[in-house]
Amino acid sequence: MYKIAVFFGGMSYEHEISIVSAIAMKKVINQELVFVFVDPNREFFLIPNDKMRSTLFSTGEYKKEPKLELSQGGIYKRGLFGKSKVEFDVALNLIHGGDGEDGVMASLLNFFDIPFIGPRVEASVLSFNKYITKVYAQAIGVKTVDFIKINKNNRNIINPKYPMIIKPCRLGSSIGVSVVKNENELDFALDVAFEFDDDVIVEPFLNGVKEYNLAGALTRSGIVFSIVEEPQKVEFLDFEKKYLDFGRSETVTSADLSKELVESLQENFSKIYLPKFIGAIIRCDFFVVDGEVYLNEINPIPGSMANYLFEDFNSLISSLTLPHNKKININYEYVNKIKSAKGKL
Amino acid sequence: MAKKDIFYKNYIYSISYDIVNFNATRDIVFLHGWGSNKEVMKSAFASHLIDFRHIYIDMPGFGNSNNDQVLCTQDYANIIQIFLDELDSKPEVIAGHSFGGKVATLLNPKYLVLLSSAGIVEEKPLDVKIKIALTKILGKLGLKEFTKIFRTKDASNMSQNMYETLKNVVNEDFSEVFANFSNTAVIFWGINDKATSLQSGKTIAKLIKHSTFNALGGDHYFFLKHSKFISEIIDGLD
Repeated sequence: MYKIAVFFGGMSYEHEISIVSAIAMKKVINQELVFVFVDPNREFFLIPNDKMRSTLFSTGEYKKEPKLELSQGGIYKRGLFGKSKVEFDVALNLIHGGDGEDGVMASLLNFFDIPFIGPRVEASVLSFNKYITKVYAQAIGVKTVDFIKINKNNRNIINPKYPMIIKPCRLGSSIGVSVVKNENELDFALDVAFEFDDDVIVEPFLNGVKEYNLAGALTRSGIVFSIVEEPQKVEFLDFEKKYLDFGRSETVTSADLSKELVESLQENFSKIYLPKFIGAIIRCDFFVVDGEVYLNEINPIPGSMANYLFEDFNSLISSLTLPHNKKININYEYVNKIKSAKGKL
Repeated sequence: MAKKDIFYKNYIYSISYDIVNFNATRDIVFLHGWGSNKEVMKSAFASHLIDFRHIYIDMPGFGNSNNDQVLCTQDYANIIQIFLDELDSKPEVIAGHSFGGKVATLLNPKYLVLLSSAGIVEEKPLDVKIKIALTKILGKLGLKEFTKIFRTKDASNMSQNMYETLKNVVNEDFSEVFANFSNTAVIFWGINDKATSLQSGKTIAKLIKHSTFNALGGDHYFFLKHSKFISEIIDGLD
């Protein structure tokens, strides 16, 4: 048996989505789980399994549960007789958006030497900002849709072509994203996007484009890919639709695709995943236009860990390859040398 | 939800707003009451008035629009005017609830819709008068901290600057402003309104020359139940 500590919540626009994801994990993972809630003030609480309901958080009731603190090698509960360690084998970073996907949790867990499933700092940086993702994709030979970047102080779009899609650079899900059909809607859509980020990406809205999601992770037996899912979309998934999506725990049927296209998606996935995303279960969202694969975005902590796309999510979790936390041997060699040379220091 | 930064008296105000019916050509602006926000107005009117482009605004210090300055009602009107200019909007109709009614009147729209508007100073009940007198004495004795226990429920969670702002706006007599309003006004009131009395509504209707008065069932938030009726009357303006 493998004991997993699920970290969820966080100071994030997707705080509530993370709660929904965490509750979904309870149904999906058949290992023993420990739930660690990061509240909006970034305090840690240990939530008993049988209390994992969304109302526990919305009502503030969670504050009655034991507070936790992070310290070297693990998380600890303060009791009458000092600190006691909360036992688990690996942490699962399930905080969507800020704190979870921007590298904050990765840094924290790394610093305290807590083994975890989730993107490392570099992977977080590459996937959190849509602009940096595009630059990364270009560098590793993965195509992306044409775009321009504008910012709050210079929001002029030269020669705008409608319909277009407007996205804040640094937000996951569909928060702040709009499809702009004509000039009347442009100013408002920009005010929406700039509420969340000073940098915004503008892309042509490709009507009728095919969208495919592929998740995967490196395990002891190589990269395990999920099935390829064609997400159902009205125009694009808006926030509420995605929100519901995050609670998913049923499996979906694979999209009916040619072998070549599946291989091409997997090949692009591998280019993106290796080696920066090792340790994380990620979902890449691709567009396909005329048989060509384009990366739309990388979700390094997908909603409910994209469990519904995997045939055997539990064995994936338990065979995942985690990168080693490189240890540096600090032996004060130089200080000692100088000291012996000079006699004292 | 969207935000626009506007510059007023050396400060940047981030105004949170929302728009419904982008492609309509006539603009209607909705201004909420004290302690309320644009979502309340939106819940009442978003599904009506389909020939209008609706502009819902959180005024500074409410909803998602922050404020750390002490303001008066005229400041609110100036800020909203700058915001509407930025939006390139010349609203035909401005509807204001309670405190928002005062701001709406100052903005001088072609059609003014008042929903249980503030602006007429109401006679205070005795217990309130006593609290005010005590607060003033305690304040003079340098015991300002203790005065907090007398603040209204509204005020207890308020930041100091919004509390000062409330003090600025709460006892303003707008009789003259209403009397000088020369465009058309439609006034709606909740018969059982305890915050702004029905009598105040009748007074405002008398003060505004071109106005009609409609008393409807309900309290200070009566319009939530009567939005269809109110919208039909607004649709019929012009």
